Amino acid sequence: MTNFFALLELPESLSLDPETVETSWREKSRTPAPGGDDRAAALHEARATLVDPVRRLAHWLALRAPDAPPECGIDPALMDLFGAISPVLETTDHVLARLRRASTALAKAVLTREAVAAQLQIQELLQRIRPLQAALLDRFDAIEEDGRAGDHQPAARALGQLKFLQRWEAQCHERLLALIAT
Amino acid sequence: MNEELIIGIDLGTTNSLVGVVDSGFPLILADRDGDRLTPSCVSWPEEGPPLVGKEAFRSRMVAPERTVSSIKRFIGRPFSDLSPEERNDSAFPLVVGARDEILVEIDPDTLVTPVEISALLLARLKSVAEEALETPLARAVVTVPAYFNNSQREATKQAAVLAGFTVERILNEPTAAALAYGLDKLDESATVAVYDLGGGTFDLSVLQMRDGFFEVISTAGDTRLGGDDFDRAIAGHFATALALGTLGPGEEATLLARAREVKEALSTEEKVTARFPFLRGNESFELEVTRADLERWLAPVIERTRPIARRAFAEAARKGVGEVERLILVGGSTRIPFLREKLREWFGLDPDLSQHPDESIALGAAIQAGMLCGRVREIILVDVTPLSLGIETFGGLMNVILPRNSTIPVKAGELFTNAVDRQQSMAIRVLQGERELAKDNWLLGEVTVPFSPGPKGSARVGVQFAIDRDGILEVLARDTATGEDHVLEIRNAAVDVDDETVERMIGESIDHAFEDMNERIWTEAKLKSEELLPAVDEALAQAGHLVPTEDRAGIDEAVAGVRSALASESHDAAALKAANAALDEATQTLAALLVEIAFSGEGS
Repeated sequence: MTNFFALLELPESLSLDPETVETSWREKSRTPAPGGDDRAAALHEARATLVDPVRRLAHWLALRAPDAPPECGIDPALMDLFGAISPVLETTDHVLARLRRASTALAKAVLTREAVAAQLQIQELLQRIRPLQAALLDRFDAIEEDGRAGDHQPAARALGQLKFLQRWEAQCHERLLALIAT
Repeated sequence: MNEELIIGIDLGTTNSLVGVVDSGFPLILADRDGDRLTPSCVSWPEEGPPLVGKEAFRSRMVAPERTVSSIKRFIGRPFSDLSPEERNDSAFPLVVGARDEILVEIDPDTLVTPVEISALLLARLKSVAEEALETPLARAVVTVPAYFNNSQREATKQAAVLAGFTVERILNEPTAAALAYGLDKLDESATVAVYDLGGGTFDLSVLQMRDGFFEVISTAGDTRLGGDDFDRAIAGHFATALALGTLGPGEEATLLARAREVKEALSTEEKVTARFPFLRGNESFELEVTRADLERWLAPVIERTRPIARRAFAEAARKGVGEVERLILVGGSTRIPFLREKLREWFGLDPDLSQHPDESIALGAAIQAGMLCGRVREIILVDVTPLSLGIETFGGLMNVILPRNSTIPVKAGELFTNAVDRQQSMAIRVLQGERELAKDNWLLGEVTVPFSPGPKGSARVGVQFAIDRDGILEVLARDTATGEDHVLEIRNAAVDVDDETVERMIGESIDHAFEDMNERIWTEAKLKSEELLPAVDEALAQAGHLVPTEDRAGIDEAVAGVRSALASESHDAAALKAANAALDEATQTLAALLVEIAFSGEGS
């Protein structure tokens, strides 16, 4: 596995600042080097991995403890949210399906009321997701310290929870975009 | 032969241009008459070789059925992808080929593909450049709409190869425009959006410019939305206003040509008279059109660009990019004053009009060409792939492997294994698009992953999906046992369409009988009526109390019109279509009202 921290010549730390990653990626992309598309693709992947805290944590953990899979159970703190998500997504998908079938401006307009309601519900969900993500990111320093002391359990646990949150956030975001664009 | 020089080509829906960088500056090359725009038109006279460019453009009124324009709308698409309107409204006849490809039928002996037609256009641009520069040329950068999918990009590249070019890069049009915009602003930092509305396609890209770095952050678009749609909307209103009923192909071509003139004239004038001398036999027509009429007719088409732009903005914001500071307009259709007003209203930005609407993309293509042949330095360009790429899973879902807006070149691997003993291979369907269900996305084709024989789960093949700087996909398989890589062919999967469907499509496409045509249009119009009538009831239930009395009377009248047209036993398709259009128009304010109260939370 390529070490993306090394590729961009950055310290192997969880608390990398995205701007630092960007600057290094730009410098490396500017200098032509052998490798062509392969090198460019690797640089782009390194940058995409390191600017995203969840992917950064996953990569960091994979480098230090390749055999530790993320813990996959849902933490009790996320259970309520988990229960709230599927009904909202389902309602939204129903509205979207009808919007897509509508071929006239009026038929679409009639559905706007429901579409706006769905949009508000999704935004509420996103507002619940974000603080939970932030709380986990705040623990990165402690997680890194535990990792350096040889305990990768906290990293694996945080990664598991972050992956759930990220998936839900992506699902909400996709629906929002679809509502905007349909 | 000039081995080093690379030219830049904008292969447009309506017009095409060619440019080059000379002493550090990009410039557009003119033909021997001094014209810089080559109409993207090809015509087949009864005798002799095809005419290309202006010569073909001139013949479109005399021989509309032998003159092909806007072929870019069809390049790289399977026939089965065409909407009924696209099949019916085309001025030149389209037929389906054996592999579901689109063929243009000039006459029974002359069937040409969109790739061949595009190649004729590219060959013309090649000779324009060769004459202007007085040297044979072979290398080119060719632009495509940013939202073109893999098949459309590959087909464009193939056309350029057929025209005798080595394709050095397939460049996204809004990205090209950004290069033209930013060439003299290399020391500035800014987040810009390029709104590119051409003859047949719309793209919006958000870019970050910083220290000579041009980075595309997000892009969204519609490859079937452009000035052609404006012309069609206007021509449709002409036909309704003049009560013309069903149109012959010559009449349609005349209405479209007049629509385009009226549209262009009203960009500077307030009122024009459209004249249709001897449109039908000896009958001539006249119609006065004001700018307000035009705006009402075009509003629904312009409105379609709004959600697309919002989508690109939202994606850029999610990637942590700051507010868009400049909105750069390119493409001929952005000349419409009403459109500029709308953009100001929607996005709160004064549109930047510094770029020449027709020439900016070709200039950008020339700059990219200059970068590739060392004539322009200090610029680094990074683009993205517009559509998510994935494969179909067992449940018919799309599993995304490379998400949209990934910086290219990009690669991702997946490991495949044999599900049963001695399985020899596995077929994977490769898709592009944003929908959850595989069938709602574009099927790019199928690749076959070979397995070495062995018990279930023993064969392991890593498959790598790579999108190159042209936005074109390559699929590689690596046998983990031997470590050998080989390219997997992406085969056209249209053969999966069952024979019956193909038969039906062939039947439909060559059947020009009037009866059937009428019946088909009737069925489509009826579906639309059946959607509209209940929507009117629902809309009135939601907001009827807010509709002024005279509007209400107009709506009721239009509803009655649709009902009586539906009840006609003769199945008069033109009458039903017109009644639908009238109801559409009568409810335009009502529809806008519904949207408004939904967003303000009133009326609930």
